[in-house]
Amino acid sequence: MATNDIGADLLLECRSITKSYSGHVVLDAVDFSVRRGEVHALVGENGAGKSTLIKIITGATGRDSGQMVYDGTVVPMEHLRRDAEALGIAVIYQELSLIPGMTVAQNIFLGKEPLRPLTRLIDVRKLNDQARDLIERYQFPLKPGDLIDDISIAQRQLVEILKALSGKASLMIMDEPTSSLTKTEVEMLFKIIALLKSEGISVLYISHRMEEVYSLSDRVTVLRDGKLVKVLDKEEISPEEIIRLMIGHKLEEKAVQHELSPKGGNVVLEVRGLTSVGKFEDLSFDLHEGEVLGIGGLVGSGRTELVRALYGADPFDAGTIRYLGKEWVPSVRKSIEGGIGFIPEERRLQGILATQSITRNIGIPNLDRIAPRGIVSVKEEDRRAARGIELLNVKPPRPEQLVGNLSGGNQQKVVLAKWLVRDLKLIFIDEPTVGIDIGAKEEIYEHIRALSARGVSVLLVSSDLPELTRLSDRVIVLRQGRFFHEFRECVLTGEKILRAASGIREGDDE
Amino acid sequence: MNKKPIATELRLAIVLVPLMAVLTILSPRFLTLDNLTNVVWSVCFIGILSSGAIYPRITGGIDLSLGSTAALSGIVVDLFMNRMGIPWIPSIFLTVVIGSLVGLFNGFIVAKIKIPAFVVTMAAKTYLYGIALVVSQGAMLAILEPKPFILISTGRFLGLPNPIYIMVALVITSQFVLRRTAFGRQVMAVGSNEVAARLSGVDPDRVRLISYTISGGTSAVGGVILASLTQQVFAAAASGIELDVMTALVIGGTSAVGGRGSVVGALIGAIMVAFIINGLNLLNVPNLYQPIAIGTVIILALLLNEGYLVPKRRTLSRA
Repeated sequence: MATNDIGADLLLECRSITKSYSGHVVLDAVDFSVRRGEVHALVGENGAGKSTLIKIITGATGRDSGQMVYDGTVVPMEHLRRDAEALGIAVIYQELSLIPGMTVAQNIFLGKEPLRPLTRLIDVRKLNDQARDLIERYQFPLKPGDLIDDISIAQRQLVEILKALSGKASLMIMDEPTSSLTKTEVEMLFKIIALLKSEGISVLYISHRMEEVYSLSDRVTVLRDGKLVKVLDKEEISPEEIIRLMIGHKLEEKAVQHELSPKGGNVVLEVRGLTSVGKFEDLSFDLHEGEVLGIGGLVGSGRTELVRALYGADPFDAGTIRYLGKEWVPSVRKSIEGGIGFIPEERRLQGILATQSITRNIGIPNLDRIAPRGIVSVKEEDRRAARGIELLNVKPPRPEQLVGNLSGGNQQKVVLAKWLVRDLKLIFIDEPTVGIDIGAKEEIYEHIRALSARGVSVLLVSSDLPELTRLSDRVIVLRQGRFFHEFRECVLTGEKILRAASGIREGDDE
Repeated sequence: MNKKPIATELRLAIVLVPLMAVLTILSPRFLTLDNLTNVVWSVCFIGILSSGAIYPRITGGIDLSLGSTAALSGIVVDLFMNRMGIPWIPSIFLTVVIGSLVGLFNGFIVAKIKIPAFVVTMAAKTYLYGIALVVSQGAMLAILEPKPFILISTGRFLGLPNPIYIMVALVITSQFVLRRTAFGRQVMAVGSNEVAARLSGVDPDRVRLISYTISGGTSAVGGVILASLTQQVFAAAASGIELDVMTALVIGGTSAVGGRGSVVGALIGAIMVAFIINGLNLLNVPNLYQPIAIGTVIILALLLNEGYLVPKRRTLSRA
């Protein structure tokens, strides 16, 4: 595509950006550019290098090599967040950078408050007036005096946008801005993006939702495995094409193709019409003995919420669950006693007791076995910990080691070990290998297969498509909290799952 | 670096022994049975309160109402025995029940209504002091009867004052509960990561409720012992003791953010402070200087517990 190569047309130009973390190349000589006043989408699978590229542009992390020019200024290798802001690069975070106890106006002008000339004290009236002017100009539903605590997530995003505009931003980066918004809020955001564009502000947009990328963007840059795949112009953009480019043809090396084989056997878990208002709706499926049932879908499609409800961590509103043939109203304690395990989505926040030893971590869900009468049998506790460490090859294999000091992969092994030393019948696994090294990943896959071979049923949620296709016997794809498609008895590829997750209906499944 | 981390208790003992050696060299009166007994005796009250106060602390909370609960308990036990004529044993029992209920109420507000423990128990400290004032009519009441009650604290067994036995029994029991029971494991887990604990089958609300109840109960026991020892009760009897207890816990390696702690460590911590005060007294250092010494010791203990001051062992404490 030989489009106009006039430098002046480009707001941001990156050439041959390379970055590696501890020997692992995450960005490999990537060229990337944003034009003035365009909406540019950056897409790619998890791990494609999107976040790293954004971090380099915003100065959150440094680059190893490559040139960057912003608005005619050469950006030096030493590029800090402060420098990026001074250049006019703004990032809209979900809600992180706002101070909850302060007002909308105070947040917008944080660090650049108007001062009274003599006393050098903050001119509160002027502060609020300036905020009101800004709000009225964009007609946002905000009041200068509202506390951040009291407004919705969508409104907080608007405050973020105003904060960036007050700093004279020329590039606004939005990372998954719609993931926690309602439909009307998304529409409002789209209008705002159009407005920004009409004012000549460029928007760099990152999203997994194809329809958004499709309807909003002037251009799309596709990354895969740290490399630039293609830059699509407006007329070339279609969801199918983007997905094809994102996945690529790497079937053999990653073995993404998988013959699905629905296992017969007894139904272990029977879910009918399960609904949790605002999270998921009317979900029904069976899980058989020894089966690995994969749940696919985009972030926010209700996958995590579903497994949390099934485990008893969150309540649900309607529907029935039968476990081992009996009516089942789950609670965490009942689930554990009944032979159900749970690997939560966020290891650090939900999985591990960082300040406790490996032994204690493994012991906690097993207190019913190691302390049946309330008194801990240290012998039994040590025995289980030793078994868990050996079974999962935890390194270093020292039971008294604090789990917070282990590597990510070993932490996840400890989380898995907690359950593998029990007699399990069913386990819910949510994103088992996020942020862990490839060796530990393969080991965890082995254990999931071994569980299934032993007759344990597995419900696996994953955004990692090769992971989902390799491990699952059957895959259900959720979309916007509803059942969208089921893959059984076919050759499954990551592309098929992603197409379904993005709402593309297949003619037939071959 | 790859050796087993040293236990807090051991680390404290390593500091305690040289401290004693120095004091022994400086003052011949230090290492006498009488003097040592006096020191341990002086920390009995703190030791008893610490054995319960450690539970809320490990869950990541705090109980600042200890002193008020203890003072109120002294007044209440006197009320039961000397004004209502209830025999001394049931009176003590009832008092401990009341103290536990006070703790349960604190725990309820912290666990169920989710108000920070610091605020909840600070309020409790004030209103319990108020209740104590009203019940005692603001007076300092002397307890001269019944004799067996007075003997609880003033009597001796095998040459040692009784309160030492009571304290040691409570500290050992508490340490056992923390180290060897499912509940102890759950307290540690909640303090370390409440969300992860919940997903592993622990009920954090229940753990908190019980923790504050225990703290209230041991405060009442402490209050009864104090009443029997001093033979007088009044609303401000134990005022400020919560700070001494927190000091003992901190020196003893109980984490300020929860998830770790030792009752035996707290006791050693309290004894260490007492030794320093005792040593300063023996050396005729004016009382004026004591707070400076104690404050310095707290800071040193914190540094020690966070892994500083111990060469090549920086990795053992923090995640």
